[in-house]
Amino acid sequence: MNVSSQTWIVVADDPAVTALVVAARALSAEVTAVVAGRRATAESVAAAGVDRVLWLGEPAEGTPVEAYAPDVARTVADGAPRAVLGSSDGAGRVMLGAIAALLQAPVLSGVIAVEHDGDQIGVTRSVFGGVAERRDLVTGGPAIIALAGGDVGDPSGAAVPVEEVTANPLTTGRLTGVRKKEKAPVNLGAARTVVAVGRGLKAKADLALITGLADAIGGELACSRPLAEGVDWIPKERNVGISGQQIAPELYVAIGISGQLQHMVGVRDAGVIVAVNSDKAALIFKQCDYGIVGDLYTVVPALTAALAPKP
Amino acid sequence: MTIVVAYKWAPNPQDAAVGSDGSVDFSRAKSAISEYDPVAFELARQVADATGAEVVGVTVGDASIDTSLARKAALSRGLDRLVIVADDRLAGADSTRLAAVLAAVVRGIGDVDLVLAGESSVDVTEGQVAMTLAGQLGWLGLNAVSSVSATDGGYAIERDVPSGTASMVLTGPAVLAATTDAVLSRVPGMKDILGAAKKPVEVLSLDMLDVSSAQVTLTAVSASRPAAGNRQRVIIDGSDPTAAAAELVGALRAAKVL
Amino acid sequence: MTSDAAGPDFDVVVVGAGIAGSVTAYRLAERGLSVVLIERGDVPGSKNLSGGVLYGRVLETVFPHYLNEAPVERRITRHVTTFLNADSAVSLDYSADGLAEPGNAVTVLRAKFDPWLAGKAEEAGAFLMPGVRVDSLLTGPGLDGATTVVGVRAGDDELRARVVVAADGVNSFLASSVGLRQKQPTNHLAVGVKAVIRLPRADIESRFGVSGDRGAAHAIVGDCTLGIGGGGFIYTNTESLSLGVVLRLDDLLRSGHTAIEVFEHFTQHPGLQQYLHGGELIEYGSHLVAEGGYPMVGEVAMNGMLVAGESAGLAINSGLTVRGMDLAIGSAIAASDAVVEAVAAGDTSKAGLAGYRRRLDESFVMQDMRTSARAPKFLERNRMYGPYGELIADVLQNAFSLDGTPREHLLNVARHALRRSPLTLRQLISDGWAGVRAL
Repeated sequence: MNVSSQTWIVVADDPAVTALVVAARALSAEVTAVVAGRRATAESVAAAGVDRVLWLGEPAEGTPVEAYAPDVARTVADGAPRAVLGSSDGAGRVMLGAIAALLQAPVLSGVIAVEHDGDQIGVTRSVFGGVAERRDLVTGGPAIIALAGGDVGDPSGAAVPVEEVTANPLTTGRLTGVRKKEKAPVNLGAARTVVAVGRGLKAKADLALITGLADAIGGELACSRPLAEGVDWIPKERNVGISGQQIAPELYVAIGISGQLQHMVGVRDAGVIVAVNSDKAALIFKQCDYGIVGDLYTVVPALTAALAPKP
Repeated sequence: MTIVVAYKWAPNPQDAAVGSDGSVDFSRAKSAISEYDPVAFELARQVADATGAEVVGVTVGDASIDTSLARKAALSRGLDRLVIVADDRLAGADSTRLAAVLAAVVRGIGDVDLVLAGESSVDVTEGQVAMTLAGQLGWLGLNAVSSVSATDGGYAIERDVPSGTASMVLTGPAVLAATTDAVLSRVPGMKDILGAAKKPVEVLSLDMLDVSSAQVTLTAVSASRPAAGNRQRVIIDGSDPTAAAAELVGALRAAKVL
Repeated sequence: MTSDAAGPDFDVVVVGAGIAGSVTAYRLAERGLSVVLIERGDVPGSKNLSGGVLYGRVLETVFPHYLNEAPVERRITRHVTTFLNADSAVSLDYSADGLAEPGNAVTVLRAKFDPWLAGKAEEAGAFLMPGVRVDSLLTGPGLDGATTVVGVRAGDDELRARVVVAADGVNSFLASSVGLRQKQPTNHLAVGVKAVIRLPRADIESRFGVSGDRGAAHAIVGDCTLGIGGGGFIYTNTESLSLGVVLRLDDLLRSGHTAIEVFEHFTQHPGLQQYLHGGELIEYGSHLVAEGGYPMVGEVAMNGMLVAGESAGLAINSGLTVRGMDLAIGSAIAASDAVVEAVAAGDTSKAGLAGYRRRLDESFVMQDMRTSARAPKFLERNRMYGPYGELIADVLQNAFSLDGTPREHLLNVARHALRRSPLTLRQLISDGWAGVRAL
């Protein structure tokens, strides 16, 4: 395969692309974006610091962006880039999967670093949910890379023209409506302080203890997986760890959380980690800055009281 | 029609031993149906019970995935039959290769109009195989699916999207990755397990399948164990909660995080 | 027998795919009986904390040349007993290569060994059913008017059998649910803390003076337990060490230390660092050892049911280690022979199953149990503190009649019992009750 030196990014109707653009720029001077979705998204991407925007046209009413995955894959394959970057969230996975299938190349996830290594691209990844890291050289074709998308700062560079490309989206699925969430979405990622609770909590009613502490400390409530998916005590948007969010608050307070790896990779970059656990041998005490060995049912009320403004 | 449940028999990395050289040894880890997958079995069974479709489980991997324990674990979760590709050439295979083998099996089964899968796997945790399978088949791929029901000539589904819950209708084949809380999956009972032993299992050889070979390959350069992090590990005895709380709050104020 | 028109689903239901259960199921299936082997864990061995050294000669009688195929770690050819002081040590080192043949003692990791054993039962024709927690026994009136066990219930499902073999572990709730095991005694209690640490093969061989498939077993007494009655052990596996302490509970309580503190002292002891340094902890747990010795083996059979292995109280606490695996195999041999005999005779009543106790009494199992009962008592009855012992008995009685419920539930049971006891929860937890939660 004749590989150009270009890096392409694929966009599934999500205008928050500066993280992808910054990563792509680090790999090559020229960055092309393939955009599936509304023209407004394509225009926004065109002003985000890319050199070229290929847009697959305005979707017909009810067409999901995922229906464009085969078109995205063909367009990327025609461009024969050295590296392809896409979002690891939502529809990004569908686009990358279609590209990977067409080019018979693996999708690289959990990426920590990407760089040129001579003529090749070297990728350092966290593997098996974070228990190990490995670095590989990609040979024989493009490196297809899934990254956390989103915006990291303001777009830079002048807007480039949007070039429309003919597309034949799949017609087998049609959107019929969206039921809006009642509550505002939780933004754990932006919280300076997060108070999380795990399996140590005995009953849903006892959550009041934890929310009391979160209020006293001015933090957002979060949890480990069992409370979000096992018993459904806490909405899963607040789940921290491999199966949920990866966050980096200044202060993370883990209550009744044993410290299993699947949870801890979610707070690896937190500033200060505090743990409260009754099991002295709990793994979390090896991974925290401050730990209190004690029953959360007595320690948490004491903490809440200690944080209360002095009369 | 046929509904395929694409699932993984996988070890839990929590039980893996990680060497200081970054090697990951799964020999002490217990394998099971990957914990993201039971929901796919349950959804498939519920839809099939409504439509009369056949539910076929498909799993691919190295030779260790085909044991009587693994077969029973899958067949007791509501499958009508099972197709396995167990070949050591698939040990450590990447998501694209696994998806290519799954696609070849799905094409071989024939009249499949729905493939259901979990969102991710417990061992690799990348959440990619199902969507690459959609790419291999040229079908619509959708993740974050929270409900599936049969309609005249297709399926109605719901998906978790950032703004809420999106409804869709499907009129053609699709690969769906279900959220882990889409439906409560039943724990197989004794009769389910006894019944599982009577259901047909087809073991396909990798050589019989039309799987295109990988174009892009990875060459390992190095591996490492992530640093444990230089946390301070100041441990406070909580037997006097008030004193412990005061000590902690004092320390956090001194560290200027309060 | 029942008058169930449909007849039983299986000749025998064996509950628990540990050593006693798997060997029983294997020997029954070998002789043509239909057997289902029910295991609570997703994989046999996954719930097991015990293990270390298996005195394997008796297994050789069930599986000749088992050493050629079973996943054993090392054959013990070197037994070292060390008397440890704070800064000195005296060791008795007995080493003989003859001990390797035919494998007097081998080290095993239960997470590997139990699946192999259950696999043998499956190969012989037993139906292995993992991931199923038996909720209760199905019972009915027998011909003699006494309760007869006719099967098991799990969730909504029932399975009927001519005989149920309860091999569900040291705190068998099946046995106690029909009164086969009486309230646990308050004397003779110990806490075991065990860990497995990973160490490169070459380090194990140079530190312990072994090579190839040979291994060492170290028993340690003295300063390593902070003067608390009991001792420690270190066993070599292929690429790991199993180590731990067994502590007399009354002494532990009197010392004011927690079992975990003693275990940490043991692992940090300068006299043991030469063996342990650089090891990486990969498995950890504690276990309550309620070992009453011979007097504790009460009724082992009733109409339609036998109790085997640790469920029957078959364990010997030497003071330093707890021996149970070979007794489990011995009881499995006796139980399976008795069941074959009873089913063939068409009488699975208590009288029909009486051959079990007779065989047990004639075998090494009961002979060793009696011997240990006469030996100087490691755990003295009169040294137990009243409240503690009663609390433990209470928790055992209540907690394990639920079996397998989530840890929250067990803790609640413990907490409930605690309210009636003068002890604090902190004392309870710190004294090795992690074992209760781990079960």
